[in-house]
Amino acid sequence: MKIALFSDIHANLPALEAFFKDVETRNADAMYCLGDLVGYNVWPNEVIDEIRKRSIPAIAGNYDFGIGRASDDCGCAYKTDEEKAMGKVSISYTNEIIKDEQRAYLRTLPAHIRLEFQLNNDPLNVLLVHGSPRKVNEYLFEDRDEKSLMRIMEQAEADIMCFGHTHKPYHRILPAAVTKDVHYRHAINIGSVGKPKDDDPRGGYVLLTINENSSIKDKDSIRVELIRFAYDVEKAAKAVEDSPLPNAYADMLRNG
Amino acid sequence: MRIAFFSDVHANFPAFEAMLRDMDQQQPDAVYCLGDLVGYHIWPNEVIAEIRKRKIASIAGNHDLKVIGLNTNPGDLQQPGKKYAYHIIKEMARDYLKTLPAYMKLEYQLNNDVLKLYLAHGSPRRVDEYVLIDTDQQYVLDMMNEAGADILFVGHSHKPYHRVLQTAEGNYKHVINTGSVGKPKDGDARACYVLFTINENSLAHDANSIHVEFRRIEYDIEKAAKALEESLLPIELADGLRYAR
Repeated sequence: MKIALFSDIHANLPALEAFFKDVETRNADAMYCLGDLVGYNVWPNEVIDEIRKRSIPAIAGNYDFGIGRASDDCGCAYKTDEEKAMGKVSISYTNEIIKDEQRAYLRTLPAHIRLEFQLNNDPLNVLLVHGSPRKVNEYLFEDRDEKSLMRIMEQAEADIMCFGHTHKPYHRILPAAVTKDVHYRHAINIGSVGKPKDDDPRGGYVLLTINENSSIKDKDSIRVELIRFAYDVEKAAKAVEDSPLPNAYADMLRNG
Repeated sequence: MRIAFFSDVHANFPAFEAMLRDMDQQQPDAVYCLGDLVGYHIWPNEVIAEIRKRKIASIAGNHDLKVIGLNTNPGDLQQPGKKYAYHIIKEMARDYLKTLPAYMKLEYQLNNDVLKLYLAHGSPRRVDEYVLIDTDQQYVLDMMNEAGADILFVGHSHKPYHRVLQTAEGNYKHVINTGSVGKPKDGDARACYVLFTINENSLAHDANSIHVEFRRIEYDIEKAAKALEESLLPIELADGLRYAR
């Protein structure tokens, strides 16, 4: 079974539309959205509507958590005063344009989804979170200390952990020795559909393939594809420039 | 948020199509299938293709697992009997069934508490265990505590119900049996599925803070029954559909 995982659309409708076009060609059997539907662009309502229209199971990201509660805090870790000031504009703008029904949808998104496979009588647990299992806004970057990442996955009983939030996709395979048998855990950052931050302005998502022989004992038995797709970046960037949002967000889209 | 749950389509494509038409009008925010896509009827490939096309998140039922290790020789497709329902399943559809997850959990953090939805085909313990409306209350509570479930969704029995159980701590747990789309057994021959509503005030200690609606959908039962009678499947399955038993 092939599972499409996408997140961090951040109100970027042209990117979401291009994602749907791309994923339709991939024969995915199931699809999950790992949150952050809104913020940083002008189409939060439209993005929510497209995801609801397709009945796609979604979980809440930190931005959804904030907007769902009409909060002025999105839980984002802005570093400089300038970033903080821009972030304030984005969340107050999003709070202003989001409609009641769409806000109620964000408010009632689940925090985590867990899929428990039992292939060949071996359990294989797939955990879907936005940031980390512990916190919706924890960043799990690729250079995270292996022991720390391992501990997070062990505590959450996740053999395969899929998450977004950093907007920088990767797939890390972590070997763990239990008594004498080695088994593997997979940490998969699925990237961002609408606001990539890895210097590639194209949208990103992940295809996870589980087959009947997939097992924690064989690290190659789980297939992870990090997909990139082109979309009309200029349209999304112009929309930012034509809005009260800071122009810097437009350049971020152009430069990835 | 409104979520649709359905199960036990059992290869009855006319029933499934009718149910989907109703569901599309209802526009749920998410859809989950609790397994038993196949068995007892002649359209397993059509049902699987539709579920895959729609990318509906599904778990495995006991009938779905019957394709594991199943070898089909040309003679098997001429042989009358129950097994015909599995032999006609195409290779790619079998691969799909073999890799369905056994369980799904949705964890909500709506307020300061956690609300866990647990999706199983039979029970959290076994894919083919029946959790019925009159299953011993303490037994069900123990099973739900073990699974960490506040709201348990099951299928398998083809008899829909919503049961509210009170815990020793004064909280409420819910068991929701989704009934059956394609082979109801509760005397009502119409297809059945569930629309479940969770809102921002849904809490474990307020039994009325979630809403469960059972949708019953008419479909061309005679078409489905006749197709059974003209197939190599046991003829009594046709009356099973007509009289929902």
